[in-house]
Amino acid sequence: MTEEKIPDYKKDKKRVDGRKMDELRPISIKVGVLPNADGSAYLEWGQNKVYAAVYGPREALPKHTQNPYKAVVKVTYRMATFSVPERKQPRPNRRDMEISKVLGEALTKVIFTEQFPNTEIGVYVEVIDSNAGSRVACLTAASCALANAGIPMKDLVAATGIGKAFGELIVDLNKDEEDAPDAVDIPFGIMPNSGEIVLLQMDGLLTKEEWAKLVPLGMKACADVYAVQKKALQEKFSLSEVSEKNVEAVVEAKPKQDHSKPGFEGVVKQSVSQQKETKTEKKEVKAKKVRK
Amino acid sequence: MKRIVIPGEMVSDQRKRLGGNVFVSDGKIYSKVLGISDESDEKASVIPLEGKYFPQAEDVVIGVVSRVVFAGYGININSFTESFIPRSAMREDLRVGDLVSSKISYVNELREAELGFPRRMFGGDVIEVTPVRTPRLIGKNGSMLELLKQGTGCDIVVGKNGRVWARNGNLDLLRKVVMFINDNSYKSNLTNSVEAFFKAEGIQINIAPKGEKTNNAAEESEVLDANAEESEVLGGAESEELN
Repeated sequence: MTEEKIPDYKKDKKRVDGRKMDELRPISIKVGVLPNADGSAYLEWGQNKVYAAVYGPREALPKHTQNPYKAVVKVTYRMATFSVPERKQPRPNRRDMEISKVLGEALTKVIFTEQFPNTEIGVYVEVIDSNAGSRVACLTAASCALANAGIPMKDLVAATGIGKAFGELIVDLNKDEEDAPDAVDIPFGIMPNSGEIVLLQMDGLLTKEEWAKLVPLGMKACADVYAVQKKALQEKFSLSEVSEKNVEAVVEAKPKQDHSKPGFEGVVKQSVSQQKETKTEKKEVKAKKVRK
Repeated sequence: MKRIVIPGEMVSDQRKRLGGNVFVSDGKIYSKVLGISDESDEKASVIPLEGKYFPQAEDVVIGVVSRVVFAGYGININSFTESFIPRSAMREDLRVGDLVSSKISYVNELREAELGFPRRMFGGDVIEVTPVRTPRLIGKNGSMLELLKQGTGCDIVVGKNGRVWARNGNLDLLRKVVMFINDNSYKSNLTNSVEAFFKAEGIQINIAPKGEKTNNAAEESEVLDANAEESEVLGGAESEELN
């Protein structure tokens, strides 16, 4: 970004990409996108594109990771090699491990872990495309995926970046703002209903006064994120009655996602059950032979 | 009032008896899961729409033999932990992949299930559905199950762990209808719509009214009440005896 392209934040009250100071980039979330996961979500947040998958609760292995009092939330944050301008080394680096840890701690706060002793809840977040704020995008997507997996939770987690760039307090920093000379970047995750903070990190320096002004901005922005999450989760279910007409339509239209034939989920399940059947049949034949 | 709630959403701000999947904070009742809020004057609960199988005593489950050891068999019941059947409990030998139906006799504090009355199941096919939606496959007093049996001519066992075992009859049709129920489990009036579907396929259904025939209004309240008592279903032969 060249110097002349950057608007004067103080004077114009306008940001690099034309947003207002307290405006988020456009967010869209879709849940239940990965058929093999227990719960999943796909999130687009500006240029950020993130997949989150949840597996479990399942038996925690190796066994020494088990906790007989509660479930272990194991988050794996990964960035695709093509998600950043310069190729990212696929090996998990210090940053990936740190983010996995803080996201896991944030999610542990909301999950009723004590209901699932000796188990692990595996959360896998994969960044496909990124432009600043990928960890908050991942946290937002992961909490939707957890709800989609039916895991009991106190609340969702809504997160956003807050901070300062070019002398103004702003929410949801993009890459240009993160690289500003006076940039302060704070990943900020809350439980929207109670307002408890579950994720808080900071890059840069703020005065006490700036911090006091920034937190309400972040709370408001998180409320907007929460509204998107809520809509995404409820979208799939509308409490309308199945009318007799649309049953036929639905069942006729089924072949596209007919579980008896196509669709890899259906195929996998069917083939598994077919194997079982053939096995048992063989066994019956054998048993008969033995009896003879 | 019935509505879709998400985790942490308020179900009721009054003091009420607590049903399933809710928690109390500051005297108000909130939902733990994504589900349908089911609130009456005395009780607040949430019927889950997604979720894994949570073993409970008295549940009928369909297990797959996952491991054979000297002392017995490890059984996968679609739960967090493997269950175990001692070799002495089975008359015949089992092999990996065999199907077993059983009733959970006891669940300990680590959610490990003890299986009672194991029976090997011969042949048949297994349809996997979302475990929390199996009550809809049974319906009130087994009405949906009876409908499925009549419509497809299958012997059906519905395991609470999300496995539906079926043998004989029109399995393709059954799979279609079961997946339809699974995908529309949150809607009301399902039994009627499935009945209509069978009629459209040209299959005659005549269900003997059991006691009081439910009218439409009652049906509606029934359908979403997934936690209502379901008739236990233990194998085709036995359930026929029950009827």
